[in-house]
Amino acid sequence: MELKFYIESGIIESYVLGLVSEAEAEEFQLMRKLYPELETEIEVVERRIERAAFDEAVLPPAEVKDRVMQSFRWEGNGAGAGFGGATADPPPNYTFINIQPKDGDQITVHKNWRLFFIFVVLLAKILLFFAIFYFLKYAQVKEEQKKTGLYYHPSSITVSQVSK
Amino acid sequence: MRRDLAHISEQALIDRLILGDPAAREFLYDRYAAALYGVVLQLVPVKDRASDVMVRVFTWVYLNIKSYQTSGYKTLFAWLLRKTREMAIKEAIPEGSLIGTELIRNEEGVLQRFYVRLPTAEQQVFRLCYFRGLSTTTIARMMAISEGQVNEILEAAMKAFRKFLSDTWN
Repeated sequence: MELKFYIESGIIESYVLGLVSEAEAEEFQLMRKLYPELETEIEVVERRIERAAFDEAVLPPAEVKDRVMQSFRWEGNGAGAGFGGATADPPPNYTFINIQPKDGDQITVHKNWRLFFIFVVLLAKILLFFAIFYFLKYAQVKEEQKKTGLYYHPSSITVSQVSK
Repeated sequence: MRRDLAHISEQALIDRLILGDPAAREFLYDRYAAALYGVVLQLVPVKDRASDVMVRVFTWVYLNIKSYQTSGYKTLFAWLLRKTREMAIKEAIPEGSLIGTELIRNEEGVLQRFYVRLPTAEQQVFRLCYFRGLSTTTIARMMAISEGQVNEILEAAMKAFRKFLSDTWN
């Protein structure tokens, strides 16, 4: 009974024409799940609207068809992927101009490489910083050792400590 | 119209469109363009702009035919109609001239036959909603009534629309 009331409210017509709000659309999808018999009624309404639209069909200018066919011929034959190669069209009546740079001179890479590149550069800078830092440290220590005349090599410490 | 496809089922047609079959694309155009053009002209009563809408619709449809299967529509035409209206409305609205009257030049159309019988308020709400694609919030603001009232009026109009449709095309 609730379903009949729902259908009579014209909600299907609103939905088919695209007049429903988001909330109504959500409710509609929920109702479809709850009442699978709604599907038959949706199809009936869609067919009715189709017949209504066909009753006042107007033949579009021929130029429209040419433009439509033209637009996908480009996309179908040009760079060409995407459509499983099913374009068994007659040979195109236009010249295909390749605006890619000359082969072999340039490469194109995925944009994720940018992050990787930035990361590598940063890492290199950090390593360079440490290299200089420790070099200076090392130089400083060596200087001090020279001043105090104290050389200590890790192994010599161990040996001297053991011998004591 | 391509004779080789004249009796193809809707599902077979869709399968061929997904593969990008040019014959199927031409067939789709031949079968539905006139009905859709009639709809577009009601929304965009200027020939050049209506043609542009048609080109945009079909180009979109060929590229996005896969989304039909998940759209929830039961028939290809209803799906095409929905997309067509959406695109036509985008083309149609010159902002700042949102008036409920004088929208339509074709006085003989199916929808005109329907809404002339409606009470004034229902007529106005239905027209703003269908022809202008306005939300109920916007319509409420324009008509200076509450959104709840707009929803009620629209529901009454849609009830009448359902009756009109089923009486005429059953």
